[in-house]
Amino acid sequence: MKMHAWISAAAIAAALFTFSSAAEADDLAKIKEAGKMSVALSGAFPPMSFVDESNAVVGFDVDIGSELARRIGVEPEIVTTAWDGIIAGLVTGRYDTIVGSMGITDERKKSVDFVGPYYRSGLAIFVLADSPVQSLEDLKDKTVGVNLGELAEQWATEHGGWKISTYKGLPELYLELTSGRIDAFIADDVPVLVAVKGGEPFRQIKAKDLPIWDIGIAVRKDNPELTAALQKALDDMMADGTYMKISDKWIGADMR
Amino acid sequence: MDIDLIIRSIPFLGEAALMTLALAAGSLVLGFGVATLLVTARFARCKALRGIAVAYVSVMRGTPLLVQLFILYFGGPQVGLVLSPFVAGTVAFGLNIGAYMSEGLRGAILSVDKGQNEAARTLGFGRLDTLRHFILPQCAALMIRSLGVNAVILVKGTALISTIGVVDLTYSSQRIMTSSVRPFEVFGIAAAYYMLIVFGLTQFMRAVERRFALPEEVRE
Repeated sequence: MKMHAWISAAAIAAALFTFSSAAEADDLAKIKEAGKMSVALSGAFPPMSFVDESNAVVGFDVDIGSELARRIGVEPEIVTTAWDGIIAGLVTGRYDTIVGSMGITDERKKSVDFVGPYYRSGLAIFVLADSPVQSLEDLKDKTVGVNLGELAEQWATEHGGWKISTYKGLPELYLELTSGRIDAFIADDVPVLVAVKGGEPFRQIKAKDLPIWDIGIAVRKDNPELTAALQKALDDMMADGTYMKISDKWIGADMR
Repeated sequence: MDIDLIIRSIPFLGEAALMTLALAAGSLVLGFGVATLLVTARFARCKALRGIAVAYVSVMRGTPLLVQLFILYFGGPQVGLVLSPFVAGTVAFGLNIGAYMSEGLRGAILSVDKGQNEAARTLGFGRLDTLRHFILPQCAALMIRSLGVNAVILVKGTALISTIGVVDLTYSSQRIMTSSVRPFEVFGIAAAYYMLIVFGLTQFMRAVERRFALPEEVRE
């Protein structure tokens, strides 16, 4: 979902340059031989991936990634890594896939291939529940929070007419809105709506023309067998109800 | 105050503190090795060696540690060097703190009066023997004190590894904060753990320093 990780951009280009020349066997064979598929995610994006009360990494992405691994006949291995550089880590072989709520963009497609989409996500604007703000117009000249490098930042900048503050994660946006340092924030709708259901005192503002995009599973380029196997596993779990069960558990809605 | 969260987080952050300790210990050992090499080079007869040591120290002290970590971790794969986050952190922190430590060691050696060196050499002692029997005993305590200061700086600096996803004290608290949105409690516990590590380290270094201090009557 986070659109541009500036730090990783140079590293990806570099890694591509170094590794694209080496022709290798399909990753699927290597994964089967190892008996496990490593799945990278940030572990800091509830309810998709986060640490629960026993400090274990859980969430929608964790369950989807684990189910995919089992369906291609291997054990899942969940790897948490910093979001900055997560693509570079895949390209350089630190793990096999990213099931980390990553938006499918043309820019990313230059470095990795995508399986999916496995859900769709859109932007939404949130204010405090008791805020007088009712529409986009009421936010004119107010301060709006967004996360650095996400699509929300790009959209807020293009929209204009307000002051923008940038942050590095949803908790920061929640805290800033609650403490009154910002008047509203723009972020991915799903995680915030789940947090609102969990008791965060926010209200969504209706707005037209907010972008929606596809979320995919990233694999290294040129692995047709792995891509096909994962796509089939994903299609199967969507068809037999497993996907819906996972989606219900973490989100409480169908996100396809 | 969310007391439940505090009680629940203490053992998890304790585990993370062990990661921070391991990282700091590895970096300190590496850093001390680097510092020893550097200070040897600084006092070498060979001009090129001295130049290399000076250049190394200026680069390491003249650029942010975070940028050095990013160059090694993100830039490493570009030249075929794919390090795990933990190893990248240990190497980056070790190479960096080594530069600061070497300056401390050098300063301690220079604090010994030049006449001591000349006198020992006049009496026929070699360079190494002079260092061992005359210079080092006079400046060992000072060296240890400056190593201790650098070790404390390093322990706190290891927090930077949270940016590349190692679950150390800082990153672990960030993750718990992400789920709980209770920064005061979570970062408060993390701060207490850092304080505990630094306190232990300072006590240890003080004991070592006392062990190497010159007896009162020798000091002027």
